[in-house]
Amino acid sequence: MDWAVVTANAPLLIKGLITSLKLAAVAIALSFPLGCLVAIGRLSHRAWLSKLCGGFVNVLRSNPLILILFWFYFLMPILIGKSINDLTSILCAFVIFFGAYFAEIIRSGIQSVGHRQIQAGLSSGLSYRQTMQHIVLPQAIRAMLPALTTQCILVLQGTTVAYVVGYDELLHTTAMIAERTGRPTEMYLAVALIYFLICYGGSLVSRKFEKGQGQ
Amino acid sequence: MTQPIIDIKQVSLAFDKFKALDGVSLSVNKGQCIVICGPSGSGKSSLLRCINGLEPFQSGDIWVDGVGVRGCKNLPALRLSVGMVFQHFELYPHMTVLENLTLAPIKAKGMNPSEAKKLAMHYLDRVGISNQADKFPARLSGGQQQRAAIARSLTLEPKAMLFDEPTSALDPELIAEVLQVMRDLAKDGMTMLVVTHEMGFAREVADEIVFMDHGQIIEQAPVTTFFGAPRTERAKDFLQKILSKI
Repeated sequence: MDWAVVTANAPLLIKGLITSLKLAAVAIALSFPLGCLVAIGRLSHRAWLSKLCGGFVNVLRSNPLILILFWFYFLMPILIGKSINDLTSILCAFVIFFGAYFAEIIRSGIQSVGHRQIQAGLSSGLSYRQTMQHIVLPQAIRAMLPALTTQCILVLQGTTVAYVVGYDELLHTTAMIAERTGRPTEMYLAVALIYFLICYGGSLVSRKFEKGQGQ
Repeated sequence: MTQPIIDIKQVSLAFDKFKALDGVSLSVNKGQCIVICGPSGSGKSSLLRCINGLEPFQSGDIWVDGVGVRGCKNLPALRLSVGMVFQHFELYPHMTVLENLTLAPIKAKGMNPSEAKKLAMHYLDRVGISNQADKFPARLSGGQQQRAAIARSLTLEPKAMLFDEPTSALDPELIAEVLQVMRDLAKDGMTMLVVTHEMGFAREVADEIVFMDHGQIIEQAPVTTFFGAPRTERAKDFLQKILSKI
């Protein structure tokens, strides 16, 4: 083992890590609101909207992320007849894929708040929207914090899928260094440690939220 | 004659084939306190939910202070005029007691926050728990929670109050404090429609008793008549069962 290869390439690894974190952050920032909309749509009394959102969730969750990335990377340019830049296709795939997962978490969170709370809100003269905003969602978000944190970890791990289209996130950067230096063992161990530290840290946060819920 | 605050005319409500309400008519005049009793599943709670438009009914109509519930374009405004108190309190667990009280006045009525807070403190004081204002509901006893929920409704300064088995979820030793608050309200002239099995309360406070079964009003009578000589077999039967518990 020669760990010098890791320290020598530390700046590149950090750059890759930052790219991965940014990718995850943007993906979460866009897929979470999408998930909120889809969840609310799914709970709507309008049957067509509920079915449409349900269909969206089921189709997306029944496909591997890598395939969805292929749709946007290979198929979409053919369908619309012009090229899409790499980052755009990656983000589109991530946002709709993780949007579907967020939608499910948010839906179950909203449903965990009893309908009697909704009745209490409505009976006090609040509109449905106000009842959602002030009474249901704050409670729902509390209930779903552990699952949301876990999902954010999964998004970060999911960013490695961008590897397949040659995007310079952490895993791709690591692979390039490994190949160039002929030191795959050290490099892949080092990158595993980085992912472990971040994701395990995240899971501790998630557990803390879970514990805080009993009160 | 002045118009009733709540006027229910031939209301029917069905869930699929089950008739929850079957042609119910009832008027509540200003300042009246009417107690509704009857076996569970007889449609008492459904009737209350119809009055403030929480449960859309299929036929008949209800007028709240002259405003029709069916096809009402502005249900939130109508609901501001009828407070509702639930069996399980339904305080918002993520807000302090005070915030529970000020939410609707601020958001639904557009009251300014300091004014809403003053009003809320006034009503918390009236139900005797102003010292609990900054606590979260989970820290209060059941009786205090229900009193807070009553104060929450009062803060909207409604024209009438609906109580849906307000003491059924309470431990026996906590029931009295809630009934006392309700008694005071009735004395102060609040118009009240109360679903309850507390016959002692009914006897003392109610102007009339309504007995419901299978979605219909079987008997409606002044308190003394009802307790002294119920006209129907079913009411007799029910009374016997419920009074023998005491």
